[in-house]
Amino acid sequence: MSGGLQDPRKTFGAAVAAVAESDPRVVVLSADSGGSSGLGEFAAKHPDRYLEFGIAEHGATGAASGLATMGLVPVFCAIAPFVTCRNFEAFRNDVGYMRQNVKIVGRNGGFTYADLGATHHSLEDYTLIGMIPGVVVLAPQDPAEIRGAVRAMIAHDGPVYMRIGNDPLPQIFEDDSFTIGEARQLRHGGDLTVVSAGYMTPRVLEAVDAVAGEVDVDLLGLGTVVPLDEEAILASARRTGHVLTVEEHYLRGGLGGAVCELLAGVDGVIVERLGVPHDYVPSGRYSELCARFGLDVAGIARRIRQAARRGGPRDELGSRRTPITAAAGD
Amino acid sequence: MITAEETRQAGTTESSGVAHRDAEVAELELSAARTRRRVLRMLQANPAGHVGGALSVIEILVALYRRAMRFGPDRVTDPQRDRFLLSAGHKALAQYAVLAEVGVVDDPVLDTYGRTGSALPGHPDLHKLPGIEANTGALGHGLPIGCGMALGARLRGYRSRVYVVLGDGELPEGSNWEAAAIAAHHRLDTLTAFVDVNGLQISGPTAQVLGMESIAAKFAAFGWAVVEIDGNDVAAVCDVLDRLPLSAGRPTAVIARTVKGKGLPGLEGTVASHYWKPTPEQLHAAIAAADAAVARAAARVQEVAR
Repeated sequence: MSGGLQDPRKTFGAAVAAVAESDPRVVVLSADSGGSSGLGEFAAKHPDRYLEFGIAEHGATGAASGLATMGLVPVFCAIAPFVTCRNFEAFRNDVGYMRQNVKIVGRNGGFTYADLGATHHSLEDYTLIGMIPGVVVLAPQDPAEIRGAVRAMIAHDGPVYMRIGNDPLPQIFEDDSFTIGEARQLRHGGDLTVVSAGYMTPRVLEAVDAVAGEVDVDLLGLGTVVPLDEEAILASARRTGHVLTVEEHYLRGGLGGAVCELLAGVDGVIVERLGVPHDYVPSGRYSELCARFGLDVAGIARRIRQAARRGGPRDELGSRRTPITAAAGD
Repeated sequence: MITAEETRQAGTTESSGVAHRDAEVAELELSAARTRRRVLRMLQANPAGHVGGALSVIEILVALYRRAMRFGPDRVTDPQRDRFLLSAGHKALAQYAVLAEVGVVDDPVLDTYGRTGSALPGHPDLHKLPGIEANTGALGHGLPIGCGMALGARLRGYRSRVYVVLGDGELPEGSNWEAAAIAAHHRLDTLTAFVDVNGLQISGPTAQVLGMESIAAKFAAFGWAVVEIDGNDVAAVCDVLDRLPLSAGRPTAVIARTVKGKGLPGLEGTVASHYWKPTPEQLHAAIAAADAAVARAAARVQEVAR
């Protein structure tokens, strides 16, 4: 890791403003959400390309589609549930079905808006938006990837959804290169494959390093949830025979669900999932909620050790098939 | 057919304008009659569809495509073309028919209606048919998209105008009113919404399902310029189109009172025409009536020309 912690929203907003300097197609849509999404700098530099829609996310999503038909590249960022759930039909029809070049960014993903309660949490977005054919789902893992992902999503010709978090993030990547659909091999190991995505990855990396010497982890970090880097996950799963997915998302669906779909029918691989049980998360302190669901560094490390003790099929005659574990971090 | 804009630019004199106007209205009425006949041509290929609403909106579409819009076979992909959005996407039969009427779609394509994989799905798909600008059908989507198009045209420096046709039955969808506020706030005076008020929807009279009157007062309260017309009177539609925008800096709402199932023998103004599955006898009678309407309109064109 290098440098100090960086605010994901400010990083995102600055990246959009930087791309817009050289790309006049970029327009920003706000649903009374631009300033709090880090887009104040863009608004100041490009007032003509900053469009305010008020708190009207369905209308703004439709308008984004209309703007895209005119050859513009709309970037619309607001609190994640309001640009995924609230506007879902506009996302599906006007953006997805119409295959428009619209970029929708959900900030404060997961339960990072911890104290604001379940209305402001987004624990289904990977699945919900991933169900719309043709939509790319990004989850950049650190500030460098946020910068790279912004460039990549604007360069990509088609609809994109990106989830970013809230808490300041450490930079774990040296450069801000980003390739849509490509996993990063963060650690090499033979005992257990751990698959992480988005802002969880720095935490997962810390946990993996904390158990180094006890568990030899093969760590894949995903900046893209859809399309999944199937090749990388399959290759690692075949090496270790045992996969643990980690995400701040419901266990139903999500990254873990996608990995299960991928590995269903692959002999000799078991999958475990660490995530959020299918219920409304209470409001509270973010760190305490993470600890409750085992999604803090200590909880992730504990779960990796448990998984390693339980072992994969290679530890027991190479033929055991254990049911998928759907429990939270217990 | 010259456009309203070209007429204005040519500075047509008052007296010659009246005769010219009569001839043009007769021509547009003939066009509307042919367009209704084309709707029935599609029913000959597949005898089921949202016919009632398609037939109520014909004069609006004919006037738009033939009188107002910078659009035609040579402008289907022109970035500066005017955009037409059928927010009430279930009226697609009307749009398919008028696209054939203006030569964007070849008539034999109409005979594929109802076939699996046809370019004429039950609700329009911009990836299937030239001239379709949005995948509407789910209601309450056209106006927000239209706002984005009008904003986009302004940002790009295009002259494009945007026309959206809504049904009165879709007005309860809240997204329409999000868009109404957005359009007024952004002063989108290149955006015009026609509300096809045929007064009927699948469950019965719109006033009984969920009353939205006064529609005119609602749009006016949102800051739109509003006019009410007889939407089946092509001359009345043209009069409005010639005056757009009704007020500089404001979007325009045209509240068009129409007759559902217009031209269908025995089914005008009925809910039964909403999704119509005619018997062979009913379809035969409707075609006979439509052919007679075309003949009458053609005779009128000749009469005006004399």
